[in-house]
Amino acid sequence: MQALLFVLPALIMFGIFVLAPLFSSLYYSFTHWDGLSSPEWVGWHNYKRAFNDDIHLSSYVHVSIYILGTLVVEVFFGLVMAVLLNSDRIGFKLMRTLFFTPVILSMVSAGLLWKFALDYNYGLLNAILKSIGLGSFVQPWLSLPETALLCVTIISGWKYAGFFMIIFFTAIRRIPNSIYEAAIIDGCGPLSSFMHITIPMLRENIVICILIAVTGGFAGFDLFYTMTNGGPYNSTEIPTTWIIKMAFDRNQMGYSIALTVIMTLVVGAVSIIYLNVTKRKDVIDY
Amino acid sequence: MSLTTNRFRIPPPSLILHYWVSATIVLGMAFPLVWMIYSSMKTKKEIFRTPFSFPGELRFEHFYNAWVKGNMGTLYFNSLFITGTSVAIVVLLACLAAFAFARLQFPGRDYIFYVFIIGLLLPQQVVVLPLFVQLREMDLLDTPWALIFPYSSWALALTIYLLRAFFMTLPKEVEEAAFIDGASLFRTFWSISLPMVKPALITMCILNAINLWNELLLSLLFILDDSKRTLPSGLLKFYGYHNVNYSLVFSALSISTVPILILFFLTQKHIIKGLAAARID
Repeated sequence: MQALLFVLPALIMFGIFVLAPLFSSLYYSFTHWDGLSSPEWVGWHNYKRAFNDDIHLSSYVHVSIYILGTLVVEVFFGLVMAVLLNSDRIGFKLMRTLFFTPVILSMVSAGLLWKFALDYNYGLLNAILKSIGLGSFVQPWLSLPETALLCVTIISGWKYAGFFMIIFFTAIRRIPNSIYEAAIIDGCGPLSSFMHITIPMLRENIVICILIAVTGGFAGFDLFYTMTNGGPYNSTEIPTTWIIKMAFDRNQMGYSIALTVIMTLVVGAVSIIYLNVTKRKDVIDY
Repeated sequence: MSLTTNRFRIPPPSLILHYWVSATIVLGMAFPLVWMIYSSMKTKKEIFRTPFSFPGELRFEHFYNAWVKGNMGTLYFNSLFITGTSVAIVVLLACLAAFAFARLQFPGRDYIFYVFIIGLLLPQQVVVLPLFVQLREMDLLDTPWALIFPYSSWALALTIYLLRAFFMTLPKEVEEAAFIDGASLFRTFWSISLPMVKPALITMCILNAINLWNELLLSLLFILDDSKRTLPSGLLKFYGYHNVNYSLVFSALSISTVPILILFFLTQKHIIKGLAAARID
């Protein structure tokens, strides 16, 4: 029984600040509630409303585009950089550290920094474009619905590619060198050894990294809130920014809690389906 | 391959290309940070005229202004206090629990462990709104505890999960010997097991500290008094108040990031290990 004493403090904290709100959100999601007065039971009303809320539905489209984009600019780019920076020659350790640096910044700092860098008048990107003679490409990047989501996605890559690079780098170091040497003897170029050795050997890591990027993408809030907060014209609205707006700008606590329940179910379903699909059922040929 | 080691031979083109491509990408990615720092020393006019170029002269007064106007000292103190206290609570409670999950037998052990695993899979946003209401009823809003309690509770799941895995890799024999020799359970934990997991504890402290230091959503919603904010939400508010005063915001950005960057370069080995540890396994 003494054993329970070891677990109890953690369990109490977890119960009060994670499990209790989790269960009360199930109840609140069936109520009409402004967050202050007493909640009023409305059955499935909030859920029906959610499926007719165009901005809510489009927020899932945006977050899906964003997540697919991050798979390229975070996971794939991170993988490529892990291979590129995998060298013991002088300078490469420093380059890995520099490449990793954005990971430790807060999303707010990264978001504000890039808000400046992408600014129309005094931004870094437009200044560079002008100086290399591409003045016609100058845009108010974050104020155009066509480019805003793309920009946020790329900034997310800037911020997190280093994280995936380190994970892949650590894994690549564990691949025995003899496999690569054998491949070179067999006439394998760098590209085909990447495709036929590195990628298959890193399969488990790639599976996990994609899962991290996908679940992390759904939970993404900070960068969107800092850079665009859903704008322009809701073109970068993702579920989390919409939920927070509904709850705190429009005081529709019951409805927004229903939206969080939907999001939980979506994230849960996507993770479970993904983990089942990627379950190792095939034999890899080297 | 020639056997003579000539230090000054011309490197092969593929190596030059490798260096050139790597360095271009890495420097391109790091440049915005450098740009941020030197832009804080430019006047508003200079920023507007030539966003790209270096400042005409090095001015440090913007840093001073941002520090004073942005209440940066207070923000730093708040962030330090909240992060430090939360990390201490998490690591202590998680260590106790992870020890029990890995080493002790008690009814319902695996079920309780699965309950914590739920926390690993949930996005934090899910409970933010009901938590807001709950904290208001507990009269904790606008106090540091409105962040410390939720932060440490959320971090418990991952910390317990990783520490338990670490406990499992350690040999049981030493603990069993101590126990047979008459040490109490708690004594065994404190003097035998705890010192053995010290490296994992340090990793967990670093990992949690970085995550909590950077947390935005809860600190934005649960703290409304500007003087009680943490760095991320305080910085965002500062931007809201001064968003046309570019050099001031650049300076505030630099003030809030440069110390962290220096800390990172000094302790990078541990930090990278800590962040990677959370995702491997």
